[in-house]
Parts: sequence; C-alpha cells; structure tokens
Amino acid sequence: MPPADALAPERTGGGGSDPVLEVRGVTVHFGGVSALTDVTLSVDRGSVTGLIGPNGAGKTTLFNVISGLQVPNSGVVVFEGRDLARVRPHRRARLGIARTFQRLELFGSLTAEDNVRVGLESSIRWWQWHRLRASFPWARDEAGDGARATGSRVVGLADRLLAGVGLAGHESEQSSAMPTGSARMVELARALAMQPKLVLLDEPGSGLDEHESEALGSLLQRLAADGMAVLLVEHDMELVMRVCDRVHVLDFGHIIASGTPDEVRADPRVQKAYLGASAGSAPAAGGDV
Amino acid sequence: MSQFLEFTVLGLILGSVYAISATGLVVTYTTSGVFNFAHGAVGMIAAYGYWELVTHHVPAALAMVLIILVGAPLLGVIIEWLLMRRLLGDTGERPIMVTLGLLSILIGMALVVFGENRGDTLNPLVGGTFRILGVGVTSQDLVIAGAAAAIAVALRVLFHSFRLGVALRAVVDDPELLATSGASPVAMSRTGWVLGSVLAALAGVLLAQQQQTSLDTYTLALLVVSGFAAAVFGRLRSVPLTYAGGLVLGLAVIYFGSYAQPHLGSWGPDLSAALPMIFLFGVLIALPSVRLRAVGKLTTLRPPRVASGWESLVAAAAFFLVAVACSLTLSGTVVGGNSSFGVVLDHTMAYGIVGLSLVLLIGYAGQVSLCQFAFMGIGAFLMGKVAGGGSLLGLLLAVVVCAAIGALIALPTVRLRGLYFALATFAFADAAYTGIFPDTRVLGQGLNVGQIVLPGLSFGGNRAVFLLLAGAFVLSALLVLAIRRSLFGRRLVALQDSPAAYATVGLNAAFTKVAVFAIAAGLAGLAGALYGTAAGIVGTSDFDIFTGVIFVLFVVVWGVRTVSGAFLAALSFAVLTHVWTNGVGLFAGAGIVLIGWAPNGIIGMTWLSRLVPHRPGAGRRASTHDAASLVGVVDTREGDIRAAG
Repeated sequence: MPPADALAPERTGGGGSDPVLEVRGVTVHFGGVSALTDVTLSVDRGSVTGLIGPNGAGKTTLFNVISGLQVPNSGVVVFEGRDLARVRPHRRARLGIARTFQRLELFGSLTAEDNVRVGLESSIRWWQWHRLRASFPWARDEAGDGARATGSRVVGLADRLLAGVGLAGHESEQSSAMPTGSARMVELARALAMQPKLVLLDEPGSGLDEHESEALGSLLQRLAADGMAVLLVEHDMELVMRVCDRVHVLDFGHIIASGTPDEVRADPRVQKAYLGASAGSAPAAGGDV
Repeated sequence: MSQFLEFTVLGLILGSVYAISATGLVVTYTTSGVFNFAHGAVGMIAAYGYWELVTHHVPAALAMVLIILVGAPLLGVIIEWLLMRRLLGDTGERPIMVTLGLLSILIGMALVVFGENRGDTLNPLVGGTFRILGVGVTSQDLVIAGAAAAIAVALRVLFHSFRLGVALRAVVDDPELLATSGASPVAMSRTGWVLGSVLAALAGVLLAQQQQTSLDTYTLALLVVSGFAAAVFGRLRSVPLTYAGGLVLGLAVIYFGSYAQPHLGSWGPDLSAALPMIFLFGVLIALPSVRLRAVGKLTTLRPPRVASGWESLVAAAAFFLVAVACSLTLSGTVVGGNSSFGVVLDHTMAYGIVGLSLVLLIGYAGQVSLCQFAFMGIGAFLMGKVAGGGSLLGLLLAVVVCAAIGALIALPTVRLRGLYFALATFAFADAAYTGIFPDTRVLGQGLNVGQIVLPGLSFGGNRAVFLLLAGAFVLSALLVLAIRRSLFGRRLVALQDSPAAYATVGLNAAFTKVAVFAIAAGLAGLAGALYGTAAGIVGTSDFDIFTGVIFVLFVVVWGVRTVSGAFLAALSFAVLTHVWTNGVGLFAGAGIVLIGWAPNGIIGMTWLSRLVPHRPGAGRRASTHDAASLVGVVDTREGDIRAAG
C-alpha cells in the first residue's frame, strides 16, 4: 500500500538488538501526583514497540518527555547514543524523532496536502537558496538532479505520502474538517514526511474501522522492515499484539511488564492491572481497555 | 537625606496610584482570564458619571455610592453578557481585540457625550493637606494610599480564604471542571467582571479627584496603562506582588526623575514619561518562557482562499488602474470640511501597507502587534532626516532600520505567550510615543520630510506622489500574497495553528516569529516613510499609540486574514478620520462586538455566505467515518477530564 521508497529512512545495518532510543529512570511529577516513576525502556531500530496501559497510565506523558514537550524531574532520554537533556523539541525532531498526538495537533487551516508539505520541507533553511527556490511553484525539475525537490515534486511526494496512509483523493480538504480517523492519518503522513529514524504514534488506530486498522498494521510493519523504529501507543489490543515486536505495559506511571506480545499477555501482573481496571476484559480479548 | 525621604513619600503615593489600578486588572484577569485593556476606560466612564451627578447637586458621598455600587456593577454585567461570555476559555488574540474594542467604544462614547476635555475639575472627596516627613500631602493622596493597601489586603483574603474567591479563580483554570463541582462558570465570570468594574470605578473616581487638571477622556482612560507594569510584575495573578510592583514602580519613577534625569543633561531624551513602559518591557523580558504543549484544540475556522499568482497579478493591475482613475477624478473633491479627497487616498495607501503588515502578523502568524504606528513614526523620521530628506536612501533605511528594530524587540519577547508579546509591543509603542517622538530632535510638533526624488523620476505633484504610494501598496500586497503561498507562508499558518506540532516537525518557532515580526516592521517603516512623503510635514500626533491600536481593530473587523480586508480597513479608517473623528472609535468598538460572531471579519462573512453554504465538514463522508469521528470525540473528552484531574 505505501510507496515504501518515499517513506523509508536511511537504511542502516540491521539485525539484533540495536536501540535507537533509550529511556532511563524517567520520573515526572505534576504537583503531588506522579505521572511517571522510574520508567526505563528502549526502542530498537527496525522494530515496532508497543506501549500499552489503562487511561491515565502516563503513556502520553512519556511521549512528551521523549519529544521534549515535558521536562522530566529525573532520568535521561538517549537517542542514538546522545543525551537529549538539553535538546529543544525542534532540535530533537531534526535529529530524527517524529510524533503524532493523541489529541490532534494538525495545522487545521491548511489542507491535508499542505500539512504534509510542511513536514516535507521542514529541513529547508532560509539560507539554502537553491532549495528555497526549488520550492517555488514555477520551479522546474532539473533533469538528472534527483536531490532537488522542486515545488511540483514536493506536491507529488506529499500526495504519495497521503496515498500511503489511505487518503488518496483527499489532498485538498481542509484538515480540521476531516473526520478524526483521517485526520490521524494526516498527522502520520506529516510525521513520516520528515523521514524520521523514530516515530512516536499516540493512538493512531482510534477512529479507524477494522479494515483501515488492518492497513495501518501492515504499514507500520513495512516501516519497521525498512529500518524505522516505531513506538506505538494503542488501545486496539488486536493491532498491538499483531504488529509489535516488543510490548511495554505502563500502569500508574510504572512499567509493570516488558516482553514479546505473548509474554506480556501471559504476565499475571498485566492481567491483574487490566482486570482491576475493568473487570472481565483481559487484553487478549481485543477490546478497548 | 530629608530630600530622599521626601522623594520616597512622593514615590509611595504615586506607587499607590499605579497599584490601585493594577490590582483591578489582576482581579479581572484572575477571574476571567482576560487582560482588560478597557479597565481604565471603565474608570473614566465612572469618573464622568460621578461628575455628572455632582454637578446636578447630588452629595459627593451619595454619588460615589451610586457610581461604584450601582453603576459599575451594572456595566460589569453588561460587558460580561455582551462581549465576554462567548470568549470564556479562548486563549487566542480575540480576547485582546475585544477588550481593545471595548476601550475604543467607551472612549468613543465619552467623546460624543462629554467631549475630549470637560474643562472642569473634581473636588477631592476629603479636603485638607498634611505634612509627612516634611512633604506636603493632600488628604486625597492618603485616601488613595489607604484604598490601595486595603484593596490589596481584601482581595488577597477573598481569593485565598473564601469559597467564592477560590471558585472565582478556578473559572479561568478550567470552566468545565468548575461546572462539575456545582458552580456556574458563567456566574463566576460575571461576578469577576462586576468586581473588576467596581474596582475600576473606584480607581477612576479617586484618581480623577486627585488629578488637579481638568477631566480629560484620554488621560483618564489611559491612566491605568502605567499600571500594566505592576500587574505584570504580579504575573497578573498575585495581588500582593502587584501591589509591591506598583510601589516599586512609583518609587522608580520619582527617583529617576529627581536623581537621574538631571544628569542626562540636554542631550538625553525625557524618559520620565516613558519609564513605566520601559519598566513593563523589563518585567516582561524577565518572565519565564511559555511552555510548549499540545492543547488538542483544532481551529475550526475556514480560512479564506489564497489567490494564485496570476489572479493576484491581474487583481493588482486592475486595482492600480482604478486607483489612478480615482486620483485623476476625485482628488480635488473636498471632504470633512477642509481636507481634499486626495489626502484621504494618500492616507489609505499608507495605512493599507500597515494593514498588510498586520495581515502577515495577526492573520497568518497569529502574533498581535500594537506598535506598527511606532514603526511608521520611525520610518517617517528616517525619511525626513537621512540625506537631507526625501531621498531614496531614506526610504531604504526606513525599511531596513525598522526591520532591525523589530527583530531586536522580538528576540527577547517571542518566547512569551501571546498576551505578553502584545503587551511588549504596546510598551514599545507607548515608550516611543511618549518618550522619543515628542523630542524636537526626533519628530516633535512637526518634521519636514520633503518630497521623494527617485533616480530619473521626480515626484513633483500630489498625483505623482499618490501614484508612488498606490504602487507601493500594490507591490506590498503582492509581496504578502507571495509570502502566503510560499514555504514561509505555510510555516506561518502552521505555527499559528499548532505551536506544539510546529516544533515536533523540526521547525524553530522563535526564529519564524522574529522573522515575520521583522518583515512586518519593515513594511510599517515603509508605510511611515511614504506617509511622511505624502504629508510633507509630520508630527508626533500622526503616530498616536491609541490611533494605532484602533487601526489594528479596523483590520481585524474587516478581516485580518485577507489583503482586501487590510485595504478596506485602511480606506474606512482614512475616510472616518477625516469625516467623523469620533466615529473612528465607535466603528472599531461596534465592529469588534461583531467579531464574536464572525471571527474572519466582515470580508469573511460575505465570503462564507457566498461560497460555503454548509458548515465545514457537514455531510462529507460515508457513515463509517461519522461513527469513527464520534469515537474520536469521546476519546478527546476523556483526555480532557484526565488532564484536568
């Protein structure tokens, strides 16, 4: 479904445990409430890592810590061996961390296509005159110079990315007027447009029907196969269990279990957390937890 | 030493004047989340009302009670009902615009009813003078100092020790959560506005009684402006800190005027008047940065369509031809008593360029600037002073220097949230208007700018100058539209829609904001230089800060997201200033009330009704997606409650 060459990051040597992101001992307090306590996890290159847990477990807070929107009270975030403590959010994004938001953060007055274009063109700096000039609508594609993205090529790339997330034909819709499920896919396409090494997805499957959610699953697996690291927060257990290589379970700000989907499903603490949260619905049941 | 004590007493009294108005600002902000630019105007109306009662032989004490305990609460209820209710929880630029609109409508009404200056003074509530530490102090001074302290203590106790006070503060933090605890957010907000109006009226009457000059509409309405610094010192939240800020500011102004100003000698500008604003700018710079966070609020506004390159070129050519035709046929027509229509057209073009700078800033980037007229003044100054006046070099320098000053102002302040940024621009505008422009070496009463000479072209006649201005406006409009269509334009809109997402796609919000502010400042500088060229002689009053604020309102009323909105704002503003001066404020104020219903302005209204018969998003997709979006809505609500808890 997705044009893999448009979505894929630089291919790097694969295989084995190769953490692109490490979170070590992260703790966040809001006033007297602690949202995250001593959270440690890692995300491998070329894998899909699931992060699950009941509402209020701290999943979004952890995403904010990783992308730099929330400063942790203690603990470190290491990306490709680099401590991100003093790196501002937009610098983190330039290093290769993209994300989507649970509560949509679209550029609402832009069209779906322009949302993705902002992502595609985000690496252009004002002094890079040749790239700026190439972004003009009347710029012509210079034959043989594949590195240059002309205006029309950027539009083409944006449309291919949108087609990749199942939104072909919706390019010129105003993004804030789109249904939630489609809007989430615009956010996903915008994140992928940055060619990130790590993408953080906050409940991308909510608002999708069974069919679309299946397509999303295969898209994520394909991204991982191309070398991207995916950290996925999702309530759709079926999706998580199907696509994730590893799963971390967060409950009241603590990591209570980590492992393969099967290991996590069998873990008595996980079952207790979920049964305690809503009696009778184990995560294996595939419902919204 | 005795002199120092004397200055200290004077400083504390002046500080109490600042504090009494600043604490009122803090009350409104704490209870409604709105920074009320019209706070002083409410006080001004109260002072006039008091004067009206007293001249009709109502006893002073009874008049005070009637105004402060009956009139002011009524005004508060009306303001809340008419303007503020639909803004509850809005953190964008609309609350700023609405209170500025309230300011201009109250001033406009006072000008129509009472005139600009009443030529009458109010008697102090209590007469007599004292000597404290050898300083002559009137009883009124003591009343004000006592009232300021008493209000500070009473508010502190109310907000922290009473259930009502806590609920009043809670309405700003989370209206929905407050509703779940049984208190009505609307009732709380209304109580807040009533309390704010009472304090504004008390301050207005007391300060009008203290002022031994005759009642003046502008002086009274803008009296509270000096208190802004004290309120921001208290972070708009803390009453005790605000009170302390007021006293510190009062002492600073008196000490500076007594000790430092004399040493500045004849070359130094008279900074005393601008000191409160310099203080405000300093306090703002010391504030912590706004925290970048995901708010999860999508803009539901449908933006106006952006014209394509060819469309804008054709429209520009047509516009220019019409402008030429107007200039040839109408410029001799006399309007508004003594000014010719040609002058109105000149002003339209110059103001139009300022309007375009606001389209860039407010319309695209969502940054409110209240200092575009100050940049105009600087532009006119450079045009008049550089290379003997009227030279091309002056025009270029006006653009470049204003852009540079804009960048310098923006650099330390763009990291602040929108309201504080707007206040910083206001501080700059006020400091320029009161402290720098009046100096005879800058603008003073009048500076001869001289007519422009371009290489090979001389602009001898008025028509030639008009063509130059119209050409500059058309080119600026094309520039603004080209920016909107460019990568930079997409970034500006993206930044306004979601700062959090802007950062997480790897873009530097601070840099973008500084850049757009500098470009807008350069445009305003160009407008000022051209305005000066057309007028020949310009003075400080041409770049009045209050007029500048009203012009911002005009652009917002007509439609700040469109070039045509900027032009219509400039045209109506220029016509009204020549035909019916008092109507300028009334139009802006009445128009702003409308903005609650039509966020895209007048242009947006007609545009919406013509092109979009349905609500955005209605009846668009198949039923599966409707179900899907419903799930999304439920999710968001859960997120709300969780975030609040």
